[in-house]
Amino acid sequence: MPLTGASESIIMKKKLYVIPLFLTLFSIVVIFLSLQLETSPQMIVGDSMQARSFPIFLMVINLMLVGILSFQFYKTYPKEVELEKFPTWSSMLLFLIFYILVTVSGDMFVAIPIVMFLMGLTWGQKKIWISITNAIVTPLSIFFLFDYVLQIRFPRGWLTNIYYG
Amino acid sequence: MIEALSAMGSVFTDPYLLTLIFATTVLGVIIGVLPGLGATTGAALLLPFTLTMEPVQAIAVLSTIYVSATFAGSITAILINTPGTSAAAATTFDGYPLAQKGEAGRALGIAVVSSTVGGVFSVIVLCIAAPLLARVAYEFRPPEYFALTIFGLSMLASISAGGAVKNLIGGIFGVWLSTIGSERVTAIERFMFGNYDLYEGLSFVPVFIGLFAISELLVQSKMVNKVVETVALKAVKLPTKEDYKRIWKTILRSCGIGTFIGVLPAEGATVASMIGYSEAKRWSKNKEEFGKGSVEGIAGAEAANNAATGGAMVPTMVLGIPGSGTTAIILVGLMVHGLRPGAYLFTEQVEKVYQIFGSMLLANLMFMAMGLYAARVFARVSLVPISILWPIVFALSVIGAYALSQSLIDVWIALIFGVIGFFARRHGFAVAPIAVGLILGEMVETNLQHSLKMYDGQWWMILAQPLAAFFLILAFLGLCGPYLYGLITKHKD
Repeated sequence: MPLTGASESIIMKKKLYVIPLFLTLFSIVVIFLSLQLETSPQMIVGDSMQARSFPIFLMVINLMLVGILSFQFYKTYPKEVELEKFPTWSSMLLFLIFYILVTVSGDMFVAIPIVMFLMGLTWGQKKIWISITNAIVTPLSIFFLFDYVLQIRFPRGWLTNIYYG
Repeated sequence: MIEALSAMGSVFTDPYLLTLIFATTVLGVIIGVLPGLGATTGAALLLPFTLTMEPVQAIAVLSTIYVSATFAGSITAILINTPGTSAAAATTFDGYPLAQKGEAGRALGIAVVSSTVGGVFSVIVLCIAAPLLARVAYEFRPPEYFALTIFGLSMLASISAGGAVKNLIGGIFGVWLSTIGSERVTAIERFMFGNYDLYEGLSFVPVFIGLFAISELLVQSKMVNKVVETVALKAVKLPTKEDYKRIWKTILRSCGIGTFIGVLPAEGATVASMIGYSEAKRWSKNKEEFGKGSVEGIAGAEAANNAATGGAMVPTMVLGIPGSGTTAIILVGLMVHGLRPGAYLFTEQVEKVYQIFGSMLLANLMFMAMGLYAARVFARVSLVPISILWPIVFALSVIGAYALSQSLIDVWIALIFGVIGFFARRHGFAVAPIAVGLILGEMVETNLQHSLKMYDGQWWMILAQPLAAFFLILAFLGLCGPYLYGLITKHKD
């Protein structure tokens, strides 16, 4: 059933407060977590602040700013945010795949070419050989640059074990 | 003074540094013409590559990227109506219309000359103003530093697009991020959730790579299938005598505006170019030409944005307060290489400081040569398909994030902040305030703690210090000034 004018406006109003609500919740959570922090004896802190004071102070300011932001949103409706398309969501999914691959193989140089190749495809590269070449040549070049020039060692895994011995 | 000048001159005779600056200028121009990459992302990606370099070489690389990418943004702004960097956005207003009239070479010539004059002018100001400011800053104590950082944070309100309140929320979030880890006085662990990799706090490099490079990758993923229209370019033409007659006043004005805006903590090249452009229009006798290919419009924007680069280095190096996202990365570069920004840098490391200034001067001259003779080639680089470019950026980002501490946790931090940065930008929150907030956070808290100790917990004594009070009043005016002015003018009407 299509939305009527009234129900559409209620949804719009709800959407309007998603960001301020999220920021408010974030501030409250930080204040709560700050209150759980230990307090130091007076002889250490002296006339200065406890470790919890500064984050609480920040979040109080944040809550005030969120109040002003909500008022601004109420006065002038913010621009609608377009829903993301496939390449954006797929890229975020690829970050997750990267994490899983590194965790499983222990090797960044297994995960990077796979993610680069898939990213190329999801971003519209039609020539597979270009994506494959890019996914192999780039990490290899960076690896040798870091290894020889900058002398940085990477975590050992399936491929790096072969190289490092 | 002679020592300083000879240190600057040594840059021009050091073959290694010359080669390095030349190569970095080429890279900076390439980064600048690639839409989406820009000076900040480029500097974030290159920072890990500077780790094994000498401090001067490392900062020379980062500052060269800064000035050359800031200039190069104008090439794509003029030829494909897409600013390579946000600082070149104002250049599109007149650069592209002039290019459409078949005068792309003339538009680029004016952009190159204006940018070079702006850049060189600002480096000269940097050489003169930075040591003078350092002398003043030498007297700063914790209350003054606290007030100064508050002033810097208040300036976040106008650091970039997104609106004052959103920028301040971003800045507060950044300051909060700086509280993660062990608290410096009491060693109480804050917001670590048992993860001892965070004991020393969040490392700046992975956070910056995430906020600037990875979030940009996600933003660029929206541009898939975007068709780019290019304007033909035969050769870049130096401005004619007529052009010079029309633009010299605009260039000089924009040099002053850009340098001044750059010096203001947390203001940068984007704001400078917009003001430079609008002032060029305001003072022009040919206002009707603006938006249709005005040479004064191009000169006004380009001289201002490059003048801001030198200006922005003043608070960065003297006070440790970055003037923009890119200078925030340069500041991190200084810290990573053991050069603690502040007044002491100008007394204990004078030679290094002037070598860095010399590198910036050289980079300005080098990009002029490249802009004049190779803009056509660089313009073609901007047509690299994003399906090739951004997977490379991904690889550079994750490896770069790993490189500093050689820890995988930094890679995850970069990815997480990439997603956070993307969603922040999606809802109109700029990421630069988060980065600047993260850097200033520690300074704010530490100086507040020291000030409270100095005055036995009587915080109002901070206000009794003249210089601290001055900065706090400036911060108040910066935040509330526009609203108060609006109220007053409304009342008068």
